[in-house]
Amino acid sequence: MKRTREEVDATLLIAKLNAAELMPTVHCLSFGPGASGAAAGDFCLLELEPTLCQQLEDGHRLVIRGDKDEQAVLCSKDKTYDLKIADTSNMLLFIPGCKTPDQLKKEEAHCNIIHTEIFGFSNNYWELRRCRPKLKKLKKLLMENPYEGPDSQREKDSHCSKYTTEDLLDQIQASEEEIMTQLQVLNACEIGGYWRILEFDYEMKLLNHVTQLVDSESWSFRKVPLNTCLQELGPLEPEEMIEHCLKCYGKKYVDEGEVYFELDADKICRATAHMLLQNAVKFNLAEFQEVWQQSVPEGMITSLDQLKGLALVDRHSRPEIIFLLKVDDLPEDNQGRFNSLFSLREKWTEEDIAPYIEDLCGEKQTIGALLTKYSHSSMQNGVKVYNSRRPIS
Amino acid sequence: MVQIVISSARAGGLAEWVLMELQGEIEARYSTGLAGNLLGDLHYTTEGIPVLIVGHHILYGKIIHLEKPFAVLVKHTPGDQDCDELRHETGTRYLVTALIKDKILFKIRPKPIITNVPKKV
Repeated sequence: MKRTREEVDATLLIAKLNAAELMPTVHCLSFGPGASGAAAGDFCLLELEPTLCQQLEDGHRLVIRGDKDEQAVLCSKDKTYDLKIADTSNMLLFIPGCKTPDQLKKEEAHCNIIHTEIFGFSNNYWELRRCRPKLKKLKKLLMENPYEGPDSQREKDSHCSKYTTEDLLDQIQASEEEIMTQLQVLNACEIGGYWRILEFDYEMKLLNHVTQLVDSESWSFRKVPLNTCLQELGPLEPEEMIEHCLKCYGKKYVDEGEVYFELDADKICRATAHMLLQNAVKFNLAEFQEVWQQSVPEGMITSLDQLKGLALVDRHSRPEIIFLLKVDDLPEDNQGRFNSLFSLREKWTEEDIAPYIEDLCGEKQTIGALLTKYSHSSMQNGVKVYNSRRPIS
Repeated sequence: MVQIVISSARAGGLAEWVLMELQGEIEARYSTGLAGNLLGDLHYTTEGIPVLIVGHHILYGKIIHLEKPFAVLVKHTPGDQDCDELRHETGTRYLVTALIKDKILFKIRPKPIITNVPKKV
């Protein structure tokens, strides 16, 4: 019952089309016996960026992640996208084996009638928009059971929650690469196949062992030998933990076959400040700066620049104060973040607020653009300040 | 949490399909559903302009190379006979059946074909 060339030509005649002005090949389109609408859910169209398309062509896979109460995201190996359905009032037909004019021109047409069956049709497609990975949950999960050392009571209790890489991929709406990067940011450590965050006091204890050793051996912070560290500190703490601490607070390098670490003074000063500030609600700024400088290893110089996104200075109170405010304790979504910042402080200078919104910037978004969208600016004593666009309850 | 994997149905080259976009909707006569029905003839002029004849209508369109291609995803639910080799995977997954990089867009109103009263002897 397939349409013949004669029937096609008869139709052309009725349509008053001149066959000479047409290419010799015709597609006779029909709906396959199983052709159906995408509304039934058996198939769908996914719009792709060229890079994602290439990844699929190379055989890589994509994963849709989300709980029932979460907005679904699609993850490639290294990026996360919001997944939304875009509706159209037009009808989209998917046609296998259909050739474009360019393709027909290239292949000397042997066949002048191509019977093609339409696979299906749809009124919508899935659309992707690059988004920030949703990583806040990662810290929350790992903080359920921080690692306090091999001999702690927690480690003997087998009921405490622990997560492997697979478990995290199953829980976090982010790509594998983004999760791995965040694990590094959190100074997480893989212990016995599970990702763990070190309990802060335990991490500080390890760091103290290292800095005290550096001091007593009169080493330079730029050249801390791994092997001697492990020999000296091994009796105190597991070697993997000492090496992990060196990795978190330093940069590994090899010199004449020996492994060394160059310790990062900024990171160590920052951790020291964190330790001092976490025990007080507020700290007199001048006193804090004095105690802080005395607490860091000799040769390291403290500076408030090291505390961006960790602590906030209030220059308007008398005396001036400083207090702990960690960016990763604030909400992850833009509006929630601004609400909580403005409830903390009514008016912000750009310098003060920048460390707390930097991570919200999308690919091409700047801090200025975010401030324009979520805040209202005014001048106060010659300084530009930003406050909330709406009343904060 | 739910994880749904989207992967290629086959290793190697994926089939390339074409998307045809029509204004409005195609309906089958007598509401019999579209499956199995003829849609019409698709010609190209020598300049490469697509011409679609559907019933008593002619549509002129254009070919658009998609900057953002589409993937056709077909849903597979466990229990389907053809996903034996994927038994270790639990839950629904989508197979990329084809990629679509070209679209034939018909956005101008169809022109009716006016047939003269046949001259019958």
